[in-house]
Amino acid sequence: MRLPKGLIVATMILVAVIVQTTLFGQLDLITPDLVMLVAILLALTRIRPELTLAVGFAAGLVVDLLSSSLTGLRAVVFTVVAYVALRTRERASIGRPAMAIWAGLTSFVGVALLVLIGTLFGQSNLLGPDVEARVIVVPLANTLIAGLIGPVFVRLIDGDRTAFRFS
Amino acid sequence: MLTDESRGRTTPTLITLVVLGLLLMTFHVRLDGGGVVGVMRSGAQAIISPIQEAAAFGVNPVVDLVDSLSNVASLREENLALRAQLAEREADLVGLQDQMARLETFEQLYDLGDAGTELPRTVANVIGSPDFLDGALIIDKGATDGIAPGQPVIDSQGYVVGSVHEVTSGTATVVPIVVGSSGVQVIVGDQKGVLMPQVGSELMRLEVFGARDPVLVNDRVLTSAGSVSFPVGLAVGRVVEDAAPVSDSLTTTVQPFADPDTLRLVIVLAWPPDPISASDQGIVEPVEEGTTTTTTGSTTTEGDG
Repeated sequence: MRLPKGLIVATMILVAVIVQTTLFGQLDLITPDLVMLVAILLALTRIRPELTLAVGFAAGLVVDLLSSSLTGLRAVVFTVVAYVALRTRERASIGRPAMAIWAGLTSFVGVALLVLIGTLFGQSNLLGPDVEARVIVVPLANTLIAGLIGPVFVRLIDGDRTAFRFS
Repeated sequence: MLTDESRGRTTPTLITLVVLGLLLMTFHVRLDGGGVVGVMRSGAQAIISPIQEAAAFGVNPVVDLVDSLSNVASLREENLALRAQLAEREADLVGLQDQMARLETFEQLYDLGDAGTELPRTVANVIGSPDFLDGALIIDKGATDGIAPGQPVIDSQGYVVGSVHEVTSGTATVVPIVVGSSGVQVIVGDQKGVLMPQVGSELMRLEVFGARDPVLVNDRVLTSAGSVSFPVGLAVGRVVEDAAPVSDSLTTTVQPFADPDTLRLVIVLAWPPDPISASDQGIVEPVEEGTTTTTTGSTTTEGDG
């Protein structure tokens, strides 16, 4: 029996939020943004583009509501990131490294936007001591994770075992 | 690539969602995080925090293991340094025990008792952080443990970490002073000043108005009696640059003692200890973002968080 796609996506976002706020919230060694990565990778699935944007918005809003910063900030950024991912998604179909680099570059756009809008809105808690390093480190971590789990993620959401099987 | 048809629907959806997000941001700013936004926030945290607490049981050992592995090279040196430190502290302890014995004798002689000034403390584990950019910490104690928004938070050494921002029944969010949106009223020697966070830096800026004397490197910075968010006399940091008064004011940088990135355990102080008696005496009570109001007048004070 196949689970409804909406349930799988909601579970993925919940898992991403929990792992992000607990495990990666304490580790300095590797600092990805899993929730942003989920919003990006959803662009590779067969989910309707409008729904992908809505899911990106909802995922960002959940992180906003759990954080101490401005509500709506990540919702806007994750929506824009999902849009960028949708517009450039054919570049990820070349191969696994291309998919990883594509996810990393899109993550860079997202992190840069977060810092930019955070600065404009005076969100000092978003601009801590390591902000410059994180603008680089987070996309690199997302690149690595996208390379590892990206194809499996798409197959799981779409229920298609042949999707993104690079030869 | 998106087809023309799907692009035709995607762009309006994007614009709608961005406008909705901007509206939420506006509501947040206008309502100062309260109202509808506050209700949404409380609801989301009430749903997610039990799962975070459960996940922390599995995650914390993994985090400790990774931390230990990444620090294995420095552990031997750290052990040696700690042994030396322990020997020093044991020597200090012997001296303190002697002083305590003398103090007890004097207290008995003069019939002195405990003034009851010890603040109730709640020890909490740090179980995470909202995301990679947010400097806030999530702790595993909440309203059911007596935690309330605005309460001061210190580390196990007694150094100021920050204050409680949001509370659910089982967890709370702590915003450290280094990333807070407002400053802390402090004293250096006998001079009063304000310690402000600096964007993108772990150092804080100390401003002393009406400065008479210079401040020197390694001078200790403590919370002042004028602080509405912290009890008086808590250690905050040390001065890292000499500075002399210029036109009655003085500016320098301070290294906070507590490093929020490395904290695994914090202590929440129940302060003010008795809000009812505090309000009877006209003592201000802490509220969010360092804005405080007195109960005996309409005074509004800013600049402490």
